[in-house]
Parts: sequence; C-alpha cells; structure tokens
Amino acid sequence: MFTLSAQDWTAVALSLRIAIVATLVSLPFGIVVATLLARKSFPGKPLIEAMIYLPLVLPPVVTGYLLLITLGRHAPVGAFLAEHFGIVVAFRWTGAVISCGVMAFPLMVRAIRLSIEAIDRRLEDAAATLGARPFWSYLTVTLPLALPGVIAGAMLAFARALGEFGATITFVSNIPGETQTISAAIYTLTQVPGGDAAALKLVTVAVIISIGVLMASEWFARRATARLHGV
Amino acid sequence: MRPRFVAAFALFATLAATPLPASAQQGLTVFAAASLRNALDDVDAAFSKTTGIKVTASYAATSALAKQIEQGAPADIFASADLKWMDYVIAHKLVKPDTRVNLLGNRLVLIAPKASKLDRVAIDKGFDIARLAGDGRIAVADVKAVPAGRYAKDALTALGAWAAAEPKLAQAENVRAALAYVARGETPLGIVYETDAKIDPGVKIVGVFPENSHQPVTYPVAEVAASTNPAAGRYLGFLRSGAAKAIFEKYGFSFLIKPVS
Amino acid sequence: MLDVTVEKTLGAFAVSASFTGASGATALFGPSGAGKTSVINMIAGLLKPDRGRVALDGDVLFDSAAGIDRPVWRRSIGYVFQEGRLFPHLSVRHNLDYGRWMSGRPADAAQFAHAVDLLDIAPLLDRRPGKLSGGERQRVAVGRALLMRPRLLLLDEPLASLDAARKQDILPYLLRLRDEAKVPMIYVSHDAGEVRRIASRVVRIEGGKVVAAGGAELLGS
Repeated sequence: MFTLSAQDWTAVALSLRIAIVATLVSLPFGIVVATLLARKSFPGKPLIEAMIYLPLVLPPVVTGYLLLITLGRHAPVGAFLAEHFGIVVAFRWTGAVISCGVMAFPLMVRAIRLSIEAIDRRLEDAAATLGARPFWSYLTVTLPLALPGVIAGAMLAFARALGEFGATITFVSNIPGETQTISAAIYTLTQVPGGDAAALKLVTVAVIISIGVLMASEWFARRATARLHGV
Repeated sequence: MRPRFVAAFALFATLAATPLPASAQQGLTVFAAASLRNALDDVDAAFSKTTGIKVTASYAATSALAKQIEQGAPADIFASADLKWMDYVIAHKLVKPDTRVNLLGNRLVLIAPKASKLDRVAIDKGFDIARLAGDGRIAVADVKAVPAGRYAKDALTALGAWAAAEPKLAQAENVRAALAYVARGETPLGIVYETDAKIDPGVKIVGVFPENSHQPVTYPVAEVAASTNPAAGRYLGFLRSGAAKAIFEKYGFSFLIKPVS
Repeated sequence: MLDVTVEKTLGAFAVSASFTGASGATALFGPSGAGKTSVINMIAGLLKPDRGRVALDGDVLFDSAAGIDRPVWRRSIGYVFQEGRLFPHLSVRHNLDYGRWMSGRPADAAQFAHAVDLLDIAPLLDRRPGKLSGGERQRVAVGRALLMRPRLLLLDEPLASLDAARKQDILPYLLRLRDEAKVPMIYVSHDAGEVRRIASRVVRIEGGKVVAAGGAELLGS
C-alpha cells in the first residue's frame, strides 16, 4: 500500500538531509545572534533585528531571488566563492541548505532569544560574585538554563526547513536527487497527469515527519525544563 | 536523559551524513520543456538501458530553464519548446551552437475536461472563445515568457479572439500546470500542445489551432556551453536516432529530421 | 580591613556612605529602603558608584578618581543573597563547588567537608535546589559563598525570606560562620534582634546616608 517510487524516496531523504544540515549549521549562529539581541545593545540594533526577521515576512520567492542574485554562479559573492575557493552553491543541495537555513533562521533566533531573556540575570550576578567571568557564566549558567528554548528553536527551524519551498525552488530550482525536496516533488506531481495518488502519499509522509518532529520538540523541551528546575 | 539526547543526536547526524543516491552527481542532466516530460522519460530510459548512463531530467517552463542555465545551473542538455528561447541562449553564449538541432514539432490544441459538453469546435477567424468559456476561464501557460503561452497568444491574436480572451485567461507556470487545471475541471477550456492532451485521460481535444495562426511549434535541442560531460554528445546522437523517433512519434510529436541510425 | 566611601544617585534616591570594617561581623543596619543593599552591591561590584573608593586590605577595588573599577569576578568577595540565588540546574554539590571550579583551583576535600559540616548540609548534596526548603537553600547559599575562599563575605538580609522558626534554626549557623570561618562579614539587616546577636560593630544607614557607626548601643530605638 505504502510504496513510493525511488525518486520520491530520494526526495524524502534529500529533504531530511537538507533540513538536518541546515539546522545544525545555523544553530551556533542562532545561539550567538539570539544572545547578542537579548543581552547587548549596539548602534543599528533595530536594523539588524529587522534584517534577521526579514525572511519571516518577505515572500519566500523574494528571499530565494535575493539569494540567487548574491550567491548565484555569476553573482558577486557566488562568483568570488567559485573563483577563489571552488565553492558553488547555486543549484546544489548545499544551496538548498542555505535557502532552508535562511528561511528557518528567524524562527530559531526568536525562540532562543525569548528563552535567554527569560533567564534571571540575578543568577548571572551570583555567578560573577563566585568568580565567573562573563563568558563562563554564559556557558555554565545562561546557556544551560536556556536549553529548552534552544531545543524548541532548533526543532522549529528543522520543521520549517523541511517544508521550505518558495525560496528553495527559486534559488536552486528543482533537480531530482540534488535539490528536489518533498515540497518540490509534491509540486511536480501535481502537474503530472495521474500524479495525485503519489502526491498524496508524499504529503502523508511529510505530515507524519512534521508531527513527529513537533511532538519530539515538545517532549524534549518539557524534559529539559523539568530537569533544570531540579525535578 | 543525557543518553537519550546523545542517541537522538547520533541518529540526526547519521541521517545527515547518509550518502544520497548518486543520481545527480554522475550521469547526465537534461533541462527540458515541461511538455516533453512523458516522452523524454521514455527516451531517457531507453538511452540508459543501452548506454548505462543515468539521465536526470528537470522539467519546467522553457523560460525558467533558460534563466536557470543563465544563472549557471549545471545542465548538460537544453531542450526548448520554441525557437525564441534557443535564440536567447545562443545569443548569450550559453549553448554550443554547432550542437543545436531542431528536433521535434507539435500542434496547438484547444482542450476541455473529459466531462465537458463541448464536442468539436471549428477554430478559425472570428472564433468566439469567450462565449465558449462562458463564466469560466481559459487555462494557458504564462503568455509573456512560456512558449506554450506565447503560441496561444499569437494564435488567438491572429484569429481576432485575443481581446475577448485576455481577461478570461488563467495563466499557469507552465503548460503542464495549465493542463492540470483543465483535467481537474477548474477551467472549462485550455490551450496546450496536442501531445499534452494525449497523455491526460482527464481532458479531450475539442479543436486544433490552424497551423498558420502561430509560429510552427518547434523543439530545438543543444548541448549547454558549460557542460564538460562526454556523454552529452552521445545523448544528442541518441535523440536523433530511429529508436528515439519511434518514441516521440508514439506520443504525438512530429520528428523534424531524418533519423541518424 | 574594608574601607568604603561611595556615592550614587539612583533616580530620586541618593546614597552616600563612608565607613570602615574590620575582622568579625559588621552590620549595616537600617530600615527597608535605606540603601543598604545598594551599598553592598557597590562593594561587590554589582553596582557602579558615581564617585568614591572601595579598598580591601589596601587592595583598591574601585576608585573613581584613579579610574579603577575591578570587575565583580575578580574581587574575591563572597555574596549571600536574600533569595539565595542557587543555580537551579546544578546539584547542591555543584553549586557549592562552583566558586572553586571558576577559580581553577584543585579540589580541596577537607575544606569542602568542613563547610558542609559547618552548615549541616551533608544530606542535601545530591539534591537539586528545587527540592530544598527555604532554610536549606540559605544554608547552601552560605556554603557556596564560603567555598570560594572570599576575602570578605557580604550577607544581604539572609534570613529575611524565612519565618521566625526557620530564622532561629539558621542563626546558630551564622554564628558558627562568624566564629570559625575567619572571614570578615558585612551583615545587612533591618532586624535589630538578628544584628544584636551577630554583629559587634554597627553602621546605621538611613535615607541613603550613614548616620552613625559604633557598637551595639546604636541598635536602640
């Protein structure tokens, strides 16, 4: 009953791989950016905040287009990377990692930032009186306490990256085995006569994965919170 | 708690590191007009069977593909649905001009959902498509850039029906998307290629556009300039073979050249 | 010996204090809102004075004229907060060990055992702060500050959040601390009864100013 074609399974595997890599790669940046936004003020901060949250409100296709005109093979940054480092991301799965990561980044930053802001700074003061320099108190007190938020942010980002379509198809198009994610595969199948059955199967797979991720996210976050509060 | 975290992370990392099937890394990448999908899939399968070379095809509107190639997309072969886009990529030095071949022909047809009350419609000057469509819309590919849409606009204009039809158009991203609208009954009419109508049991042809109402539908193919794939030449050769001719004609394309072999 | 002269304006409130402290326990005594906590926060480095000088045994920690402002984490001043402020994600043992961990000093089992003994917190070591009573938390907080080997110990109304019965339970531990730990203490409180038992020297603070400094006789009225 539940048989998908090889190409469709490839799309599922590719989507998972892209979403996982996008999440893992953007996590350190997400933590750093969220910390800066939560704790530091600096000139131009509102502008930086707006730019980070931009992919949330821009039409995804616009984000994809912006990526194309900066990181495309013949675009300023893309050409530089290709010439000097031999790195090409356009129309590659690594480009899909970038587009999915960019789209998911604001969600990750928001969740982590809220979590850090909720941490009692008096605990950090206490750590300082005990001899902890700011970096160490951040590492040993702030971050561990922010862990539930970090987990939630990462999972949310993963789910978003998994479902990414508009920016990805604009930046890296729809090449089976390389950039054809679940969403793109479903989209393609809607244009294939008689492809509805296969499309629905893929939709089911996508829904199952998403629900699984969200449930896991809840579970991990709750466990982490309980553990932190000494239960 | 901690061991479970580690286990989950390990699972994640393994999934991330899993090597993908090598489909897009080796083998050939073909960027082809959406209307070529079913026929070219069969041709590619035959090619792979005889040569053992895997072919990955990316189907989309010709316009989208041309722009992607311009942006540096890693295609080896480009199969366009009209001459204009092939001229474009040649002018921008994106394909190897001496590999270019005008391979296939097609016809433009008017389609309706299978269950439509319409039967045969005469398409000639004074053709009242707006009345035929009634309250509904006419599904076409994007008329500004996509070949199928451009042919449709040219044909309607030549027949004096454009002004009435234009506000009733439902423009889709490519010709197969337009086909899908009609098959689902979303629009009562659509303008697609004869070969598209033939593969979808959900639609029926209710009329054929006169050949002189639009540029002849021609599918040129060529090797992409940036391609260094030695299989590209072999592939183009196969496209011109008798075996490929048989497949294309089975789907309703006209084969424009003398087959080589 | 602690030498403090600080001034700070906090909104509409101005704090201006100058006093010295020696070994043993010195109380900063005064009504709520008098500015006592602000003063010890300035000693600890958690609050920056507008003007002034803070020196401990001749080591200048803050001097506005000379541009000196040593960061909190390098002052070696222990602080027992009113609410304890134990780290909820660490066990009692790790809370106690935090100061040593941050200092990079090797573990000192004898000293650890001594502090645990002094405060009777041995049965609590593997518990999390979330599972402790108020009194237990305060004792752990004292132990934590003590185990960082401070040159000075600041206690900000450590008994304020406890009921009368708990206060009586904890007070003996504070007395033991004063007598056995050999660390000078600054004890902030508005409770004359507490202060009378703990401190021999009293600095009265009212309205942000030191109004008197002397012995226990200042506690009357």
